[in-house]
Amino acid sequence: MSGIRWAYAINQWKPQFDDFVRREQHERALKTISIAGFEGVELTYGTGRWEPLGNPQQLAANFGSVAGFGEFLRSCAVDAVSSWYWDPAERSMEDLTGPLSPLAEADAPAIAQRAGLLAGALAELGGSVLLVRPVPGAGDVEPLDDDALARVAACWDAAGRTTAEHGIRLALHVDFLSALRRDHVPALLDRTDPALVGLALDTGELTAGGIDPLGVIERSGDRIWHVQFKDALAVDDAGEYLQPHAHWTVRVRGGAREVPRWFAEPGADGGLVDFPAVTRALLGAGYSGWIVVESDQSPHPAASALLAGYHVQRELRPLVEEEPA
Amino acid sequence: MAWTKWSYMDHWVTETPQGPQPPSFNRAYMDRYVKELSALGFTGFDTFFFYLPLYAGMYGGVPGFERFLQDNGFEKITGIFSAYPSATKYAAPHVRETHDRIVADCTNTLRMCEGLTGVENFIVMPTSTYWQTEPVTDDTIKVVADLWNRVGELTRRHGMTTTCHFEFWGAIRTREQVDTFLAHTDPELVRFFCDTAQHTIAGVDPVQLFRDYADRCTGFHFKDTKDVDEHEAYRTPPDPELMAPQVTRWFYEMGEGGLVDFPALMKEIVASGYDGWLTVEHDKAELGGGSYAEATAVAKWYIDNVLAEAEAEARAELGSAR
Repeated sequence: MSGIRWAYAINQWKPQFDDFVRREQHERALKTISIAGFEGVELTYGTGRWEPLGNPQQLAANFGSVAGFGEFLRSCAVDAVSSWYWDPAERSMEDLTGPLSPLAEADAPAIAQRAGLLAGALAELGGSVLLVRPVPGAGDVEPLDDDALARVAACWDAAGRTTAEHGIRLALHVDFLSALRRDHVPALLDRTDPALVGLALDTGELTAGGIDPLGVIERSGDRIWHVQFKDALAVDDAGEYLQPHAHWTVRVRGGAREVPRWFAEPGADGGLVDFPAVTRALLGAGYSGWIVVESDQSPHPAASALLAGYHVQRELRPLVEEEPA
Repeated sequence: MAWTKWSYMDHWVTETPQGPQPPSFNRAYMDRYVKELSALGFTGFDTFFFYLPLYAGMYGGVPGFERFLQDNGFEKITGIFSAYPSATKYAAPHVRETHDRIVADCTNTLRMCEGLTGVENFIVMPTSTYWQTEPVTDDTIKVVADLWNRVGELTRRHGMTTTCHFEFWGAIRTREQVDTFLAHTDPELVRFFCDTAQHTIAGVDPVQLFRDYADRCTGFHFKDTKDVDEHEAYRTPPDPELMAPQVTRWFYEMGEGGLVDFPALMKEIVASGYDGWLTVEHDKAELGGGSYAEATAVAKWYIDNVLAEAEAEARAELGSAR
């Protein structure tokens, strides 16, 4: 049997900044994740009073300590925080810092320091991977040249060195708006230290970006340190990711087509990702670690978690369990 | 070994492009609903008589629907719920002249169940609303008992057990009334179905009631409440469940701090030797912005993480007593 463990991303419960802030809402979401068959939960970085699960300071403020949050997790029958997603471009109210950019050499030390802080908490919560947004969106920066890629690689090598001190791996999460979409992912990966930096394979983001996840596994299977399973319901085939502020105009609004929802849980009607094929390819590449299932976002979070649980229990987990040790 | 016979009572509302609807809105919604229940580990399915024609239409017959359930990990359709909550001149359990029509109506429902693996319970509300039935005398209850004795004989011929589910707003609601009703009915033909919330709202302890009638009990609705009816809400016309002025939501899923002592009931069930289905029911879970999917997930989490422990303790106590 492989070392694959299944987790669920809690971000689908939080559609915007001042929702999903109460303890009982977290409790119900975590119990839903647990009973749907997932043993871990993935957190998303956030800052400020309405992000109780957003960073170690907020965990301490809300649960007494990071360990206190761990106890809360276990009281909901969730074993671990599998991973944390962090975009350094998000400001930190707790540290009173603005957006940090991996393209700016001067920001690299702060990024490494912040990565270490998240990694320390993750280690305490039983996790293993810090996912980072490696570069801003394609429409928000100049095209990445060799110098830029070298600066980004150096930044994440340094951050990976810091997370490794806590036993946490650092994985680059390339989304469909990323300036690394298309040819730049290999270009960046090849510049990083394979001992310090890996790749997070997000099936939905890749597919929405017109990239076949199977091709990524074939080329970079040995660099995959983390996996996210979400389905894509549409492809940005018009290259709208190149627009400025595409997060709002493309991801949230849906672009010119007003795509109501780019992503959904695996197995959703109209989904474009072949999850059994991806699972088999991951097993073939020897992947061992967390597979975090996502919906991102969902109008019906609990229903999405249960449908994802159904798909994992009946189709994907059996593939994994068939795998010889 | 943990209890494996958990069934789900078919209340569910889902958001559709046309607003909130039952999953029978269309086949795709229905399929997703069944998959969500399957993911939670339910293996039995109870439904209402009025959904049977819809499911037959969507799945090529009620047996076709049951096969879909079975393809998704269910054992079978376990119970059919039938009711005449509002008394009319054609159907009112306390009016003897309507009994022939009610029996005929039950016969039609039973016909819809032909070809199924083996529905166990034919669950009925024994009466209509209290306010339409009062005054409730022993004679009233005797008339009602006569009806369900007839239906009990009928369902027995179809391999099902008639079992009575008492509402807090029904004409048989107090402990004394329940005792009278069960005394007037044939224990072989008419059984008792324990809805934990309904009894609690009516001021009846469901654990004690089950303890006293364990030999006649054929099923449960595990649902919680946070209110006992202290304002005679049960007399609210036309419907106390949704229109009582004092309480806007009566029912809650397990594990939300309600009044029912589910671990105590679970232990009592184990001690009694009962080995039938245990059913989770939610009713109006969408009130206050709730979701059936989440309510059901939380309830099943409670079963697997809290009731399983109560069950194990009860089995250990039984083992050490032997």
